[in-house]
This record gives sequence, structure tokens and C-alpha cells, in this order.
Amino acid sequence: MPQTPSIAVENVTVTYHDQVALYGINFALPPGTMVGLVGMNGSGKSTLFKTIMGFITPKTGRVWIEGLPIEQAQKRGWVAYMPQSEQVDWQFPVRVQDVVMMGRYGYMNWLRIPRPLDRRIVEMSLQQVDMLPLKDRQIGELSGGQKKRTFLARALAQQARILLLDEPFNGVDMKTERAMIQLLMHLRDTGHTILVSSHDLSGISTFCDQIIFINQTILAYGATQEVFTPENLNRTFGVTFPEATS
Amino acid sequence: MVMVDWLTAPLQYEFMVKALLVSGFVGVVCGVLSCYMILKGWALLGDAVAHAVTPGVVLAYVLRLPLALGALVFGVGAVWLMGWIQKQTRIKEDTVIGLVFTGLFALGLVLISKTPSNVDFLHILFGNVLGIPTSEMVQTLVVGTVTLAVLLLFKNDLLLFCFDPTHARAIGINVTGLHYLLLTLLSLTIVVALQTVGVVLVVAMLISPGATAYLLTDRFDGMLIWSVLSALAASGLGTYLSYYLDAATGGCIVLVQTLLFLLAMLWAPKHGLLRRVSRPG
Repeated sequence: MPQTPSIAVENVTVTYHDQVALYGINFALPPGTMVGLVGMNGSGKSTLFKTIMGFITPKTGRVWIEGLPIEQAQKRGWVAYMPQSEQVDWQFPVRVQDVVMMGRYGYMNWLRIPRPLDRRIVEMSLQQVDMLPLKDRQIGELSGGQKKRTFLARALAQQARILLLDEPFNGVDMKTERAMIQLLMHLRDTGHTILVSSHDLSGISTFCDQIIFINQTILAYGATQEVFTPENLNRTFGVTFPEATS
Repeated sequence: MVMVDWLTAPLQYEFMVKALLVSGFVGVVCGVLSCYMILKGWALLGDAVAHAVTPGVVLAYVLRLPLALGALVFGVGAVWLMGWIQKQTRIKEDTVIGLVFTGLFALGLVLISKTPSNVDFLHILFGNVLGIPTSEMVQTLVVGTVTLAVLLLFKNDLLLFCFDPTHARAIGINVTGLHYLLLTLLSLTIVVALQTVGVVLVVAMLISPGATAYLLTDRFDGMLIWSVLSALAASGLGTYLSYYLDAATGGCIVLVQTLLFLLAMLWAPKHGLLRRVSRPG
């Protein structure tokens, strides 16, 4: 029996002011996979994330999250999303633990009063990204990598089964990146579906089960060892990668 | 003893007791709302809505409807109009805000000049807390209490809406609903504050306490507390000053608020100018 895909994108076309941003996008991600989204700047990676999240309405096509429209999946807290650059005001008077607690809002009643369970999950999530000692810091006092880890902790606290991570390793040091990848692989092993974009090509092929090559449309999609070829890299980036296979 | 006399002497007059109660209460409501205005970056919008409600208040007065209703219709309507104009034309947001609020404010002024009993309408522009009639005082207290209750009940949702609307949407929270909720609360707060400081100065009540508090703390709960305290202090001190100086109450309250902000700007523990200079590194 075929499983319901975690994310199914059917024939999606997106236009901005008559400019085509994405066209003919089709894929279905099976549950429990880590999928890398690879493409140049301006190839539509972030647009694809926003379309899956329902922030952009596609001109044609549909997006399904475990068989449900995105709005219903969001109400159930199934999807966590980390935008490429958090559009937040870093001077905002919230502490690290306050931000992570926002991941729990969907589970609280409408007064959003944290229960002991919520506090415990926030602590655990902070622990997982190694940010527990900094939980009382105001978010503006964090380094770039610590900021990313804070928002990853919020995604963890949300306990979503699907994680959409747009360039999560941007501005993150090597040590943090490795720790984050370890964590993502552990999440994948426990059944989460993760769609992650990155411009670090050599890295992404080492921890992703599948790769999507994108440039306005999908150039190649499949298991990493099958599609991560010099030809596909060449088609995606328009330059030659003689030694890209590894 | 002199200080005690200074404080108690005006209290023998009923109008002063009323004025202190109303302006203090208005300070509390504005203190809470101003935190959200500061954090959402709605200072200019707050000023615009305050001016834009003028025709609504005048019409409501003439038609003997609750002033809050007239203000609400014109406040929310003005913001809707701004959004609509921006979508239809290539004009930038700040220009649209300026166009809509001056247009509506002008309409309000024309309506005022064409209606009899002009005296009451001067109070809309500049406030009249010393002469507030009991009926309007009751209305202020009722509308203010409802506004305050909703603000505090939805405290965390509104905070998330100000901080990270993208995440709010991602977890299925109705962001458009929160947008209009905050807008409605803004319009209602303006009605509440009108009696005290009037249309022209109401924006000070909507931003000064929050701005002062923002410099004093890095916690949102702390910001709420400091904001309410500074607004209360300004309302109280300002009302006393206006009594002793025989000066406009609204103006005195706003002056004290500005003074408190300057004090915070200089001496705030972490973000104050003097602390920053004296700290090594």
C-alpha cells in the first residue's frame, strides 16, 4: 500500500507580477526522509518553501501535507518552518526561552498559559541544540549561530513531523553546523520529514537521502546517489563541476 | 508636610478627584497598548488613526450614538482605506497614511465648524479631563476596561503577532484576525484617551510610556509594568501640575511623559546614554 506523502506538490506554478517564479513543480516526499533542495540564488527555493507554507498562493496546482490542505496541517501543528533570514526585530524584548515557548502556542489553550509539560519540552528542545545555558539571554545578544539554534529549538518544541528549513546553516560555524546536522539526522531516523535548502553542495549530499535540483522548475529529483551527478550540478548551476562526485 | 498638603489640597475638589481617576485609568490602558505600538512599529499609524477618528466622534456626537462606535468605524475604516489606496496606486505607504489621515481630520474639522455647540468639540481636539461629565466618565471606564481586558487576555498572541507573524501563521494562528483585533483595540484606546489629552496629543499616550519602558528592560512583562507605571506617574503628576500652573491638563501630562522618556534615555540601567558611555568596552 502506498504511503501518504508527507509533502505532495502537484503541478505548481507561481508568478510574481507576470514573472514566472516556479512552473510545473511536482514531487511527493515520503515520510521519514531528509530531502535537500539545491539551486542557485533566485532559482525559487525560498518561493517554493513559502508556497508549501501557503504564504504564496500558486497560480496553478495544489500542495498537500499528509493528504490535507496546508491550513489544516498548520492548525494541527504538523509543519515547522524556519525562513532563510528571520524577519524579526532582534532588539525585541524576548528571551531565548520565550522564543522557544512560542513553538508550544499551538498546543496551549487560547490564553497561551504554559503548562509544566510545555516548560519541560522547551527545556528539552534547548538542551538538544545546546542552548540551555543561554535561555535567559535577550535574543539580540546572541551570535548568528546561536540565533539559528534558537529558532531550530522552537521548531523542535513545536514537535512538528515536517520541518521546512530554508538555508539553516547560513552564518553558522562548522561546529554548530555539524551538531545541527546530527540533530536533523536523528529527527529523520525518528520519522520526521525534513526539506532543507543549502548552498553548501558538498555538505548536503552527505546527509540527505534525496535531492531536488531546482531552477524555476525541477531539473532532477531522486535518491542522492542517483541524482547527485556532475551533469545535474552542471544543469542546475550552469557551470562545470569536474570533481563533484564523491 | 508641604508635600502632603501639595498632594491633598486639590483633592477637596470633586473635579480634581475625577480628573485624577480618569487620567490615571487612561494611563494604565495606554501604557499597556503602547508596548504593542512600539514593538509593532505602529507609532505613525497610531497618530493617523487618532486623527482619522475625529469625524466619527463628531458624527456619533451629533447622532447621539456612543462615541466609541463612531471612532471604531472611522479608525478601522481609515486603515482599510489606506490598504485599499496602496493596492490601487503606486503611492508609498507613508504618503498614503498622510493623505488619508489629514483628509479625514479635515473632514472632522469641517464637521465641527458646521455643528452648533463648538465648545464641546474643542474638547475632542485638546481634551477636557477637568470638566469631564459623569456620563462620559462612565463610558471611558467601560470602554477602557473592556480594552484592557482583551489586551491582557490576548497578551501572548498579540506579542507573537508583533514579534513573528510568519511563525504565527505557520502554527495556524489567524494573523489577519489579530491584525484587526489590535487595530480595534487601538481605536478604542484612542476613544478612551480623547477625554484626557484630545486628538492632537493622543499619540503621545500611545507611544511615550512604551518607549520609556523599552529602554528600561529586556523582558516583555517588565516592559508592560514599567510602561503602566510611567504612564500612571505622568497622568498623576501632569494633572497636579495643570492644577497648580492653571495650564492645559493634556499638555502637562504629555510633557511629564516626555520628561520621563528623557530621564530613561539618559539613566536607563542598560540602554541609557550615560550608562553606555561609562561602561568600559
